[in-house]
Amino acid sequence: MRGGRIVDLGGAHAIILHRPHAAVSALSRQLLAVGLRVSTQWPVLEADALAADFVFFDADMGFDEQFPWQKAQAPMPLIALIGTEAPGRIEWALSTGATAQILKPVGDSGVYSALLIARNAFEARRALSAEVADLRQKIGERQTVVRAVVMLIEQTGSEAAAYSALRSEAMDARISIEEAAGRVLLRGSQPSARKPKGGAA
Amino acid sequence: MKRSVPVGILYSRSGSYARISDACRKGALNAIEEINADPARSIRFEAIERDPAGNVDSYGPLCEEILRDTPARHIIGCVTSWSRKEVIPTLEKSGGTLWYTVPYEGYEASDHVVYLHACPNQHLLPLLEWTFPTYGRRGYLTGSNYIWGWEINRLARETLHAVGGEVLGERYLPIGSVDIGRMIEEIRATEPDFILNSLIGPSSYAFLKAYAALGADDPRFSPDHCPVLSCNLTECELDDIGAASEGLIAAGPYFHDGAQAFVSSHEAAANAAVYTLANLLEGAEENSRLHIAALLQTPAGLQSRIDAKTHHMPQPVLIAQVRNGAFRVVHSGGLVAGDPYLSQPVPNAMRRLRVVS
Repeated sequence: MRGGRIVDLGGAHAIILHRPHAAVSALSRQLLAVGLRVSTQWPVLEADALAADFVFFDADMGFDEQFPWQKAQAPMPLIALIGTEAPGRIEWALSTGATAQILKPVGDSGVYSALLIARNAFEARRALSAEVADLRQKIGERQTVVRAVVMLIEQTGSEAAAYSALRSEAMDARISIEEAAGRVLLRGSQPSARKPKGGAA
Repeated sequence: MKRSVPVGILYSRSGSYARISDACRKGALNAIEEINADPARSIRFEAIERDPAGNVDSYGPLCEEILRDTPARHIIGCVTSWSRKEVIPTLEKSGGTLWYTVPYEGYEASDHVVYLHACPNQHLLPLLEWTFPTYGRRGYLTGSNYIWGWEINRLARETLHAVGGEVLGERYLPIGSVDIGRMIEEIRATEPDFILNSLIGPSSYAFLKAYAALGADDPRFSPDHCPVLSCNLTECELDDIGAASEGLIAAGPYFHDGAQAFVSSHEAAANAAVYTLANLLEGAEENSRLHIAALLQTPAGLQSRIDAKTHHMPQPVLIAQVRNGAFRVVHSGGLVAGDPYLSQPVPNAMRRLRVVS
């Protein structure tokens, strides 16, 4: 595979979750031409699907129990194969977390762009989720920071010095402010270990 | 009595890339004549010709006309990628096959096209790999304003970045435009190590003449110092470029370097198209009605060297330079399988280059 290239798809494994059908052969042909490995599974994904790089699934006959992961928690990009453009089916396809679609009947093209769009959106969503989780944790730890600062004010005498001590603590250990605050509180709860230095302050 | 097989010919006899169309057409028609005169062949081709006259919007309708009004299932034709993309939906609808005989930018593997000329892993990438140690890694990129130039330059840009090179400029002209003054000024100002030229037709001729004039005035822009590279320049356009062609470097599967039969790779590829098709259709009459995917599964298909997965063919990788008015091969990279999506592992030499950066 070629690092950094948009075309980094060679050798990737795609699973098609669809009953035997002309759409499957047309899709396989395109995937093989692009250089992927292809396997077909139906009606449910096997355990090895967890290691696949892409999963194409039938949006017409699909149901939640086909996937060995929690709804919308697929560990790889999903691409919906849509035949019936009924709102209910599209709603279900969206609920799986699919990030691209191909319309049936599958013709001679469309797979390459679907792969790139699905992967791009999947990675953007994953990065965003990680950021949101990180921010949520930070918000959750606001209380920890406040308590640590209050504790440090007692030791250092001023709010500015307390913040400064907390920042140095984080920078020295190369950890976040929130983690450093956690450490300060932990030390504060073990007075004997911390006493000599705290007493000097 | 030979079995008659109609075959479509869809090349523009006029317009900005007529030289290339003419070369392809000549290669196809000559080969058809040879097949028809060969008593050992059970078929004779009947050419059904349509001329889109360089108008991209005429390709789809004329392709449809051939497939609808005649029994022809195979069409040899199209020069620009733009025109090829225009006919694919029609081919899909009617189960026809296009035999495409010019270099293109890759990222396609239609079940209804056979690609008989080179794609980037057979022209651009080996050309750059050969250029970097010889001339350097600072490039100026030009092209006509459509998919060929865009995609060739995108790949060149990506390759240059991957090896720590530099793109000093990138500029496009509408097909047919000869407004090349700005490009020449930018090249003069940035002094690149090489220029990658993906302009086509009159734009390319005007650019090459102006650049040769610059080189004559200023040795920094002579072919030894800063050559012009191309993946679409062949012998069939040398007359239009005249003396300005001296020193041009091109990559392709074939160059007329000696006493071979064909004047250019276009003619050679069109000849190969006709002969390969004839081999596939020999024998059972029902062969003429089979779709290309089925034909490729026959014994003749398996021998055709057309890759059943991608419909591309292995091509010799040659790099040639114009010396005394004719291409001379300066490097031969052997036979390389087509890899339209660049999904195969990078060749060793390129990997070494990347490690160096």
